[in-house]
Amino acid sequence: MIKTKVLVIGSGPGGYTAAFRAADLGNEVTLIETYKTLGGVCLNVGCIPSKSLLHTAEVINEAKHASQLGVTFASPKIDLDGVRKNKEDIVSKLTGGIQALAKARKVKVITGYAKFLSKNQVSLDGTDEVIEFEQCIIATGSRVTKFPMFPFEDKRVMDSTDALMLDDIPKRMLVVGGGIIGLEMATIYDALGSEITIVELGGQIIPVADKDIVTPLFKKIKKNYANVFLNTKVTKMTAAKKGIKVEFEGKDAPESDTFDKVLVAVGRTPNGLLIDAEKAGVKIDKSGFISTNNQMKTNIDNIFAIGDIVGQPMLAHKATHEAKVAAEVISGGKSGFDALTIPSVAYTDPEIAWTGKTEKELTEAGVKFTKGVFPWAASGKNLSIGRSEGISKGLFDAESGKILGMGICGNNAGDLISEASLAIEMGCDMSDIALTIHAHPTLSETTAFAAEMAEGTITDLMPPRKKK
Amino acid sequence: MPTKKNVELPDIGDFDSVDVIEVLVKVGDVVNENDSLITLETDKATMEIPAPFSGKVASLAVKIGDKIATGELILTLESDSDQAEDASNEAASPSNSETIESSNNKSSTAQKNVELPDIGDFDSVDVIEVLVKVGDVVNENDSLITLETDKATMEIPAPFSGKVASLAVKIGDKIATGELILTLESDSDQAEDASNEAASPSNSETIESSNIEIEAPKIETTKEEITLTTDSTSHASPSIRKLARELGVSLSKIKGTGKKGRILEDDLKSFVKQIVIHGDTGNEVEVVPLSRIKKISGKHLSNSWSSIPHVTQFDEVNIEQLEKFRKHQKERNIKLSPLIFIMKAVVQVLKRHPNFNASLDETGENLIVKKYFNLGIAVDTPNGLVVPVVKDVGQKSLVELAEELADISSRARAGQLQASEMKGAGFTISSLGGIGGTQFTPIINAPEVAILGVSRTQIKPVWNGSSFEPTAMIPLALSYDHRVIDGVEGAKFMAELNQVLSNIMEMLL
Repeated sequence: MIKTKVLVIGSGPGGYTAAFRAADLGNEVTLIETYKTLGGVCLNVGCIPSKSLLHTAEVINEAKHASQLGVTFASPKIDLDGVRKNKEDIVSKLTGGIQALAKARKVKVITGYAKFLSKNQVSLDGTDEVIEFEQCIIATGSRVTKFPMFPFEDKRVMDSTDALMLDDIPKRMLVVGGGIIGLEMATIYDALGSEITIVELGGQIIPVADKDIVTPLFKKIKKNYANVFLNTKVTKMTAAKKGIKVEFEGKDAPESDTFDKVLVAVGRTPNGLLIDAEKAGVKIDKSGFISTNNQMKTNIDNIFAIGDIVGQPMLAHKATHEAKVAAEVISGGKSGFDALTIPSVAYTDPEIAWTGKTEKELTEAGVKFTKGVFPWAASGKNLSIGRSEGISKGLFDAESGKILGMGICGNNAGDLISEASLAIEMGCDMSDIALTIHAHPTLSETTAFAAEMAEGTITDLMPPRKKK
Repeated sequence: MPTKKNVELPDIGDFDSVDVIEVLVKVGDVVNENDSLITLETDKATMEIPAPFSGKVASLAVKIGDKIATGELILTLESDSDQAEDASNEAASPSNSETIESSNNKSSTAQKNVELPDIGDFDSVDVIEVLVKVGDVVNENDSLITLETDKATMEIPAPFSGKVASLAVKIGDKIATGELILTLESDSDQAEDASNEAASPSNSETIESSNIEIEAPKIETTKEEITLTTDSTSHASPSIRKLARELGVSLSKIKGTGKKGRILEDDLKSFVKQIVIHGDTGNEVEVVPLSRIKKISGKHLSNSWSSIPHVTQFDEVNIEQLEKFRKHQKERNIKLSPLIFIMKAVVQVLKRHPNFNASLDETGENLIVKKYFNLGIAVDTPNGLVVPVVKDVGQKSLVELAEELADISSRARAGQLQASEMKGAGFTISSLGGIGGTQFTPIINAPEVAILGVSRTQIKPVWNGSSFEPTAMIPLALSYDHRVIDGVEGAKFMAELNQVLSNIMEMLL
């Protein structure tokens, strides 16, 4: 039997952050991970590998469009092994780094699948090993949602993890789900040469985001991809010799079509029901979420939960902040999770990012707001990098001018959104942003321009008439 | 040709400054003579200020919530030149006419405002001393008032010589940069210098009165704007939220002092300091500001309590006879409360003990004995205690007194008493007889020297020589100023009052 003070289950961004922070605060910490490499979904089969492949896609696309800059490259020759290796090198560099950091902090790492026995014990599944803990942080994350109606047993039906393996480049590929993951994978496979069709149940791609923010991307993929079917349902999927036959229900879609490969990206399911947490008395809802207070404590006093398993949005940067709260509370600190905003980013081409409240949310809540929209067609920097699409949209309290939310679509939107997140946390007004000098020419200027549009002080465009 | 004429607050009596609670006109309104312009609320009464002449409102100098003092500008009326001339002849303030002539007339004087210079980074500071009084002649750089900030006290010097014409502040006031301290009356030369030095844009029209109009409210306006724009949820940055968590403080309890109500680290620290000093039981509390009457009467009461050596003499009076008489009158539909009889009896006894109907002068060395018999009667109102005065009690019949008392108390409850109705008492009665209690020790209403407290009548067994007889007894408590009245005199007063009340025929004596 192993005894430990703090046990962290799961080594994703939430888990390793919790373990490291707890160790730094003087605790003896044990970290259990099912897989051999640390880092969880994010590092192994999520954020990092997808971003490395997205960079590959970007280079291909840039080269393709270089002719308009007066430079013409030959058509790219794609060496899939090389692409995979680059991705794997990056992943192993990062996971190895985490391993080293764990060692430097004397965090004990155990490989295995933990299941609760009681509120103080877990066992390693398939072994007799029992680990006894004083405090536990559950960071077991989420998994790809797999509907049984789709024939996943066929290799041609992929989830995002399979797609990142990059076994081949299908000629015709269907992406089921027009959310962030589906669109990012579509971006990669499109650049590598696949002919993409996207099918989305909702009325717009990335349904949670404001429509105007996703429109530049939608216009682009509508033009570049074979098809983008909105308001369309996949009713049946069967594996045939020629390919995967998919039947649709929707007014624009054909009744059926056959694809070489299908990526199913319809969301993620929390892993709450897979760890016997009920044996510890931890309450889990029927979807598998564990609820916590704002100190990340579950209904059981010595058991905490963080990351995807405690709720939406399932984002690594939410998990890491929750992880620190849990580790600090365990160490007697008075931390709490009270972030005003968690930004969301789609690393598509163009990127889409938003933070704070969306226009939809504000309208629904009946909040009076002032909107400032700056189209990137008027951005010198955007034009200089060979782009025309993109918008920055600021949402401000109609009375006080305080920033409520921001949405950006365009190159590097994911990096640009941080300014707005900081502004929200600091309670900035539109004039605070407009009066902060942004370097010219940059894409970050567009944030200030959006504030100036709301304020009516813009000079790079005609200001909206409603204000002085 | 229309001319503009200032309308200033006429003498409203013994008030430093009063609250403007209603503004009844707006710019552009045409008002007739005697139309009401604004409503003022003093400690105990409200009053409407009428227009001294007709005209069109050109500008307003006050708004709801402002404080205004005698002589300060209310508004400017635009009137035909005829009317304006009439008005200025009729009610010309001395300053106005003199201004016009000042260049020619060497002996004329002019008034000049002295405002608080920039004292640095303070919103407003406490006035802890006023070193001059009206009529004093001060030289340049003489100290006028003393201010106390968190960390230091400072004296504010006179910017020029002159005679103090009026004081705008008193001890305990808060004053901010640019607010009026006092008005100095100086030779015309000096006044001219001064006005050149610190000319305000409005000076060109009427030198003195226009000075008064703006400065004081200016700062208040900005304050108001800040509170108005404050969101219901004050903003705090992540680091402040973190600190609050560590200190275990709920930010919703803190009022931010930063821009737009933002909660700053200092706000958090001073909140915690308050808790450390005053304690926090953890139970929920609510801060309810005292009513204005309570704030004012509270100061007065604590002054009385701490400065007057009180002695309280208790007694119980057999009022069987009085009750019988009352009952009889009641059957005839004449309602007389015991208080009416007590008032009448008190006056009877006061006549024999003039020291009780008196007040001690400011030096504490002379007794001012009053030759009239006015009684203050404490009345409970929704906003607090007020003490209207019933005049010449000795000359009024019981029925007249009953009517007057009913009228005055109902108006007191409605907040409609005039300031003059609360002045001029020589002795006060506070009756809690309608509510209960066996006795209480009333606090003297300074500068008076005695007060009578009345508690609830009870039927008590009283030994009549052969048996105990159920007897209506009313408890009385007489508090007196021991500096003025000694114990023997106090006991005598009470004994005689008892005698008169238990034998009501003696009231006829």
